[in-house]
Parts: sequence; structure tokens; C-alpha cells
Amino acid sequence: MNIDIRHREGVIVLDVDGRIIGSESLALKNIIDDEINNAKAGDVRMLLNMKKVRAMDSAGLGIVIAAYTTIQRRGGRIALLNVSGSINNLIVISKLFTIFDRYDDEDKAIRSFQEAR
Amino acid sequence: MGDTVSANRANPDPGISARRNSVTKIANQVIRLDLPSSTHFVYVIDAIISEIVSDMGFDKDESEQINLAVIEAAVNAIKHGNNEDSSKRTRFEFILSQDELTVVVEDQGVGFNRESVADPLDPSNLLKSSGRGIFLMETCMDSVTFEESGRIVRMVKLKSSAA
Repeated sequence: MNIDIRHREGVIVLDVDGRIIGSESLALKNIIDDEINNAKAGDVRMLLNMKKVRAMDSAGLGIVIAAYTTIQRRGGRIALLNVSGSINNLIVISKLFTIFDRYDDEDKAIRSFQEAR
Repeated sequence: MGDTVSANRANPDPGISARRNSVTKIANQVIRLDLPSSTHFVYVIDAIISEIVSDMGFDKDESEQINLAVIEAAVNAIKHGNNEDSSKRTRFEFILSQDELTVVVEDQGVGFNRESVADPLDPSNLLKSSGRGIFLMETCMDSVTFEESGRIVRMVKLKSSAA
């Protein structure tokens, strides 16, 4: 798995490329944890771009949920970008579609963080 | 073989004919695999099951569901069954037939009670970061049964094109 980290208008954008399954998902967990720890409390704004994620299992989903609860607790916000196909199905059947804000357009997603401030 | 020939004659599309040839060849075959108990090797299972479902002619949605269920079963067996103990093995059996795929995953752990696993869709569990593996297996496959006190899971997926 390859993860690029960008910062755009105060939002941490993680471009994930690969499969979030098995032990491969640990790379995503470590990067999310580092970014959360490096950010000021209450100022964690994270956008997870999943355009190039080919597969995700329950462990991968668990990492995204853990990121959501940690960031929420710190007064920040996480949103998902370009979730489609099997990943979207996984979120829907797990009844998490009301939990995660999802966007198909990066500009719109970035703007949502400014509006939420 | 006779069935294959008549299928080719009935359908002039060479792509479909080639796939039917392939399905005829792989039907009623058993593939066995024995893996070390490390989640590092889940990619091996992912690669193998991807090839099998493609070869059998499952559609895209069915293929993704089978992939997910098999990965969940593999991780459960390696992580929770065998506790990632390198001295224990995780065994897989793929039974291919014309209309369905059966996947059997066996670990060498102490087993578990299916009834004791919490419902991940219960509102109090929705934000838990784990506990969805069995639910996803049961959602994605047509049948999931546990044998030998939960050390063996047997999953079946029917081809919708066979219905």
C-alpha cells in the first residue's frame, strides 16, 4: 500500500493506493495515528481519499472507525473521498453510511471543512 | 466435453466460449492450501481466490463478496484461531463445481461459540473497531457453517448465473 500525505487549506489529505487488508492496513493506521498526534488538539481535519483503494476488509474498516472516534473525541473531523464499489458496499452493509461524510469531489470536500469551522 | 462443444456451437462469441471451456475444466476440482499463521500471508489468499472466482465466471459483485468473506475467514483463523502462532497452520480447501464454490478454512486453535459473538449492527457496537468478520462472511456468502467447535468454517457461494 502506498499513502501520499498532502496538506490543503488546513486539511490533511491522505491519498491511499492499494488494498487495506490484513497486515497491509497497519501502514494506514500508523500514518493516521502520526497525523493525529502531530496536529493540534481540536484541529484535526482529515480527508481520506480512497479513489485507488482496490479492497478493504473489516480490519481496514476498523482503522477508519478508530480514526473517526479519536478525531471526534478531539473535536476534529474526518471525511471520506471517492468511496465506490466494494468499499461503499462494505460501509453500507455495516450500517456506517450515516456515520461517515462521503464526497466525490475534492474541492467540495475541502470546502465542507471550512464551513464546519 | 460434449457439453462444452455444444456450448461453443450455440454461442458464437469466442470470449464466452473460452470462459465456458475454462469453467468446464475447473469444475469438480479441489484446491488445497496450507499457510503459516501470519496475517502477512493474507495477500496470498487474496490472489488465489481472485483467480478462482474469475476462472469460475462469478460476476463482479459476487467476486468481491467472495474475496471479502474468504479474507475475513483467513484473518479470523490466523489471528483469533491460531493467535498468529507460527507453529500452527491455517488450511484452506476450495471445492469448485459448475454452479457453486465451497471454501473451507481450518485453524488449530481452541474454537469459539458463534452465539457468543456480538451483533456488530447493534447501535451500541456500530463504532467498535472490530467484531465484523463473521457478520461479513455471513452477509457475503449463501451459507456459512461452523464445525469442530468453530475451528472449521465452511462457506458456500452459488453462481447467480446458474439460477
